[in-house]
Amino acid sequence: MSAGVQNAGMQVSAVQPSWIRRLLGAPLILAAFVLVVVLATAHWIVPLPYNPIMPGAGSSLQPPSLEHWFGTDRFGFDLFSRTLAAGSRDIPLALAGTLLSAAIGVPLGLLSVTRGRAGELIMRGLDAFQAFPLVVLAVAIVALTGNRLENVVLAIAIINVPRFMRLVRAQGLSIRESRFVEAARTYGASWMRILSYHILPNVTGVIIAQSSLTAAHSIVVIAALSFLGIGISPPQASWGAMIQSGAQNMATGQWWVVLFPGLAVLLTVASLNALAEAADRRLAQ
Amino acid sequence: MGTRLDRPFLILVGKRLLAIPLSLIVVATFAFGLVALIPGDPAVHILGQFASDEELARLRGELGLTRPFLVRYLAFMGQLAQGDLGTSFFSRRPVLEEIGRYLPATIELVVLSMIGAVLIGLVVGGIGAYYRGRWQDRIASGSITLFQSVPDFLLALLLIFFLFFLLGVVPPPVGRLGFGAATPPAVTGMLLIDSLIAGDFDTFRRAAAASVMPVLALSIVYSAYIGKISRTTVSAALQSDQALYARACGLSEWRVFTYALLQARTPILTYGAILFGSLIGGAAIIETVFAWRGVGEWALQSMLKLDMPAIQGFIVVAGGITLLLYLLLDILVLLLDPRIRLR
Repeated sequence: MSAGVQNAGMQVSAVQPSWIRRLLGAPLILAAFVLVVVLATAHWIVPLPYNPIMPGAGSSLQPPSLEHWFGTDRFGFDLFSRTLAAGSRDIPLALAGTLLSAAIGVPLGLLSVTRGRAGELIMRGLDAFQAFPLVVLAVAIVALTGNRLENVVLAIAIINVPRFMRLVRAQGLSIRESRFVEAARTYGASWMRILSYHILPNVTGVIIAQSSLTAAHSIVVIAALSFLGIGISPPQASWGAMIQSGAQNMATGQWWVVLFPGLAVLLTVASLNALAEAADRRLAQ
Repeated sequence: MGTRLDRPFLILVGKRLLAIPLSLIVVATFAFGLVALIPGDPAVHILGQFASDEELARLRGELGLTRPFLVRYLAFMGQLAQGDLGTSFFSRRPVLEEIGRYLPATIELVVLSMIGAVLIGLVVGGIGAYYRGRWQDRIASGSITLFQSVPDFLLALLLIFFLFFLLGVVPPPVGRLGFGAATPPAVTGMLLIDSLIAGDFDTFRRAAAASVMPVLALSIVYSAYIGKISRTTVSAALQSDQALYARACGLSEWRVFTYALLQARTPILTYGAILFGSLIGGAAIIETVFAWRGVGEWALQSMLKLDMPAIQGFIVVAGGITLLLYLLLDILVLLLDPRIRLR
């Protein structure tokens, strides 16, 4: 653990510090946060050198150069413009899916805290669900509901709801045994009140950490889906589809078509994982 | 270990065995419900968008899609009870036969990848634990984070670039034996084993060479979790009083380390079983990249074509395998870990 994190913790430890301020206390974590924000918004903020959805911006399969920083693919798309354009599509999609799964999973998890045995049974069912390959499940959901963006978000939400439920239930069950909940029950607080005033505020931390992990996982799932040609309509840019379009080129040596969108996925996922880990470490202290 | 095979143990195993058919019914119901309740018309997929309404209606009738939901469900379960998973809408062949054709290749891939994942994970996690907080640990932890973040298909393509294009040490990613090669007579359906049985070492060598990249890609990606968990458990074990005592007794560092490494067996076994179950379908993308012709690739294609019986059959088979694995896992954990007692 770096000294920066320690200091940030000490300065603000007297009062309940804000989550954002805590996360921004460490330079590496800040860098991860900035990277994700930049990749998600660059398309809207800075003008891209070429039109990302116009083929033939350059001649095909040009290696990286001053003209085309990341090179071009076999259709002559400018890969730099396209990588940034894909980020402003993939990252918001992943976040939307994550938010939706939290919005469904957290209330369900909270409700299950008030039920002992029934909750246990439901969790067992979810276990079996978790054992199923999630990418394949996502493919199935999108294939069956129709190849549209909102269904990609839906698929992401469905495969992640169990994680949130499980997490909130596990945390909630231990908090339920604490003195303040007991006290609240003695003066006749309703379950609704206990859940929203006593348990929910105590699980926000883990929910935030889990959201970051889920977003990272969602980026991978979205990339996998679009790698398989699901959830995109060409010529729209998506990291997975870009990697797919360069797949054959890897065996013939044109590495740049795969490498740059690949690095974008890798860095985004690593950053989101790092953010989750930082949040977890904070919680452990 | 012989003492573990006592009455309560056998009763537990018996109970779990009896629960499997029940769980399978639940899995089958889930499979049927998932596929039947979600919108989407397989008839349109089979005949294309320009088919006339009469043609579509006739095909729906043929496929049995016009019958009420409950009737279809009961028919599905009835067939299942007789070991029949129905007939594929597209290939018109029994789903069970199709799965039997594609499953062995996947099992081969998954077993090899899991062995690889455990080896890589143990090495990386072990190094991280032993040198906790030093530069070696930082490299090990960094690798774990990297492995955890890289999508398997991206890693596979990078391997193709480095191992095939640059170094040329592996055959091109065009299937298990390359074009036009004869396969040995099928005994187990697993190419590596069949070629050994046939004594065809040339085929074995080529099949093994073609397995390097897909196995490596899956191994590295799935070693992340094993590395993480072994780093945590082993480093706790190395700091325990037992390790202190072992060192005080003058045992070599390597011996103390291997004792500590044993601490990771239960979580690794548990994760291994979960991984095995989910990789049966989860290896689909890698199988697609390397033209492996495994069951995951087949299931994926079936899903994209809305081949309902195939999707349902796949979920039932994958679910059944997973249930058996979990039972095996529980038995193994009980046998291997004397600290876990039956009440």
